[in-house]
Amino acid sequence: MKQPGMSLIVKTVTRLITGFIMIFGLYLVIYGHITPGGGFSGGVVISLALILTLLAFGKEFIDAHALIGDNGMEAVDVFGAFAFLVIALLGYFAGAFFSNRIIGHGEPFHLFSGGIIPFCNLAIGLKVGACLFGVLVALAVFHTQRRHDPSEPREEG
Amino acid sequence: MQAYLPYALCMVLLAIGIYGMVAKKNVIKIIIGLAITEYAINMFLLLLGWRSGKNPVAPILARGQKDFLVNTVDPLPQALVLTSIVVGLSVLALAVALAVRIYQKYGTFDITEIRKLKG
Repeated sequence: MKQPGMSLIVKTVTRLITGFIMIFGLYLVIYGHITPGGGFSGGVVISLALILTLLAFGKEFIDAHALIGDNGMEAVDVFGAFAFLVIALLGYFAGAFFSNRIIGHGEPFHLFSGGIIPFCNLAIGLKVGACLFGVLVALAVFHTQRRHDPSEPREEG
Repeated sequence: MQAYLPYALCMVLLAIGIYGMVAKKNVIKIIIGLAITEYAINMFLLLLGWRSGKNPVAPILARGQKDFLVNTVDPLPQALVLTSIVVGLSVLALAVALAVRIYQKYGTFDITEIRKLKG
């Protein structure tokens, strides 16, 4: 029986390691202000976990089992950028754009430190993770839609 | 002499990327040449911020670190290169989308066979 996606070996390995890749991406985002990493690199790793699932199981599986669809992914993308803007504008309560005095700074070298920087990292991580996955989904949808469109004549050579 | 070797290797990488962009006829190989050129420029910028001291460290403050300001490398090119990587990623996505479109329109990746682009 022909199944969409790649072979059984690729699917099994993907099932095993996708969770670990996702957890590593979340770790990079959450600990971005005290270790190497941050919003962008963590978001890239999160989107790589999603892209690996997409490549191994096919677009139909993603459409059938995903919690949020393509429009939901775009909404997460926009929400990330909007949250970053809101964090920046909240700084006006303390007197300046991107002011870091609206919440406490916490203890240095601990998870709860750095003021607004962890929240900025979370916003950038959401934005980058959803956006990079959206780029690949857009390429895949674009490809399949154009390929199954018989109205436009194909020109050879 | 040995201190300038990484810069020379950057130039070699840049030459490889430009060769790929100019001499190759496959669109995908041209895109790969573009990416290699970007990486060469990023590595050159990172090398400019290198501090050839006794014990250079990454510009991230760790707990109980001594002589941080003396030993750390310049963080400014690293921030610049992070922005450059983001821009390069979006340029790559745009180029791949254009390559997909070209393949659907003409059925080939060879740029010498795409004749309808001329006028």
